[in-house]
Amino acid sequence: MSEKPVIEVVGLTKRFKGLTAVNDVSFSVRKGGITGMIGPNGAGKSTTFNMICGYYPPTEKRAYEYTNMKIARTFQIMKPLKNLTVMDNVIASCYFGHAAAKTREEAVERATEVLKFTGLYEKRHVLSKEMGTPDQKRLEMARALATKPEVLFLDENMAGLNPTETAEAIELIRRINQSGVTILLIEHIMQAVVSLCEKVIVLHHGEKIAEGTPEEVMNDPYVMEVYLGTKAEDKEEKEEA
Amino acid sequence: MDIKKAVSGYHRNLAIVIGALLAVFVLLPVVIKTPYIINIFILVFYISTMSMAWNILGGMTGQNSLGLAAYMGIGAYTVCLVVTKLGWNPWAVSILAMLVTGLIAGVIFFPCFILQGPYFTLVSIAFAESMRQFIINSEFFGRASGVGLPFGEDSLAQFRFTSKVPYYYAGLIMMVVVYIIMKKIDNTKIGFALKTIREDEDAAAAIGINPTKYKVIAVVISAVIAGFVGFFYASYIRYVDPDLMVQAKSTEFVLPAVVGGAAYVEGPLVGGLIMIPLSEFLRANFARVLPGINMIMYAIVLLVVIRFRPSGILGWYMDSDFKKFIDEKILKKPSLDILEEYQMMNYESRKGGK
Repeated sequence: MSEKPVIEVVGLTKRFKGLTAVNDVSFSVRKGGITGMIGPNGAGKSTTFNMICGYYPPTEKRAYEYTNMKIARTFQIMKPLKNLTVMDNVIASCYFGHAAAKTREEAVERATEVLKFTGLYEKRHVLSKEMGTPDQKRLEMARALATKPEVLFLDENMAGLNPTETAEAIELIRRINQSGVTILLIEHIMQAVVSLCEKVIVLHHGEKIAEGTPEEVMNDPYVMEVYLGTKAEDKEEKEEA
Repeated sequence: MDIKKAVSGYHRNLAIVIGALLAVFVLLPVVIKTPYIINIFILVFYISTMSMAWNILGGMTGQNSLGLAAYMGIGAYTVCLVVTKLGWNPWAVSILAMLVTGLIAGVIFFPCFILQGPYFTLVSIAFAESMRQFIINSEFFGRASGVGLPFGEDSLAQFRFTSKVPYYYAGLIMMVVVYIIMKKIDNTKIGFALKTIREDEDAAAAIGINPTKYKVIAVVISAVIAGFVGFFYASYIRYVDPDLMVQAKSTEFVLPAVVGGAAYVEGPLVGGLIMIPLSEFLRANFARVLPGINMIMYAIVLLVVIRFRPSGILGWYMDSDFKKFIDEKILKKPSLDILEEYQMMNYESRKGGK
């Protein structure tokens, strides 16, 4: 498969005053795949994300390419439109984004589709601030999906979920991917990374220290060292399971 | 079909209730002839309209502006000056007044939207106050003594009447038209953009909304409405002075929306209908007994509402059993699912028809 990657980043750097948050990071994302980005807290994952999304510009970059990309993202700290119903949350996204709805009916129709797809349809009349964390995380994804992206960026979409909810979220992400959306995700939950990602990028102190399949990355001695063995245990559990 | 029947029944009931409400307002001047009462209703109409203009910024977009009286003043001054100095027709000048206020608001606030939250509010106050000071110190604007409109015979073309009743109807029409415009905005793309910005600007930017663009749109719409109310005010009072632009006036326009429920398009109307007659009643009955007591009582009412019902009267109503009773027994409102299905059915049939 020698298809051109959707995202190709070379030498991405971000400095906040004295602190170098991301230093000379290069990687690529294959079209139609799920790429994961892991690393300890403060490794610069979200910063990298934010730069690619255009949330803020990188300090330095050598090359930076995406082939005609329509992106959408979710936020690590959820940003639901609290005082609007779930339906209205998604309608707002349908009016904008990459295939903006022209009429209200069109927006409602598309929103209904997305809500059914993400399993929020039954709760469409609930105010989003009244929902629990798992549903709000789902809503984040629904709102991003409603903009009809080709590439979806998920920033720690499973943090704070219990195992059942995590499994449901993994299932949903897989379905989104199968519908033809390329996914780049940041995740701490190794179960999710292992079962979803075809490629994993590991960041540590703002630098890329490993890249490869989940298997390769987890067996990398430096990665194990960074994670102080805790993730090796995780890995054993995985193998048992 | 069942769905169609239920929905059209609901629509009919809704139309009857709204029609009855309107009929009460239309017939009111026929029954009540006291100019004092009529005057109170005219106040209700134009202050509620101003409050709706505030609501699109403060309620829908979450940008609290406390300088709305300045736009109204600019509108009123434009009308008075152009009519007296150039002799234009007031109706034509009303359009000019809207253009002028919209333009001034857009140009001044476009760079101000890097400021957020309270800083935006401060700029709006400073803007209103500097406009007022500018007018007080300018010979052209008649300094502190203001500008008057010419008196004369009653004439619709000049929007000039000795009786208050024509102004009553004009005010009513103005309020209803602005309400319909607001309702329309609330339900379309602009409304969703503004509400998304209110909830979270980053989230808005993430789905492709340009926050600055839509905030400027909101400011301009708000200012244009205020400019038109300025025209109405000038024609009614037939005189305008810089006192119209004081801070207290701007606050007065915020209250109906806050008390009625700032998140709802109907909020300013409900709040205006309650708060303005209340304030007039308190002034008429208690100010003689103990000067200032009316203001204190007004403040207490306001504090109670904000303390116990921060979402306003409508915020309370939306969750109440009273609403359930009205929806089920009087309006016979079908469930949301049925309404939705009905809308989609209409949409499908229209799509098929094309």
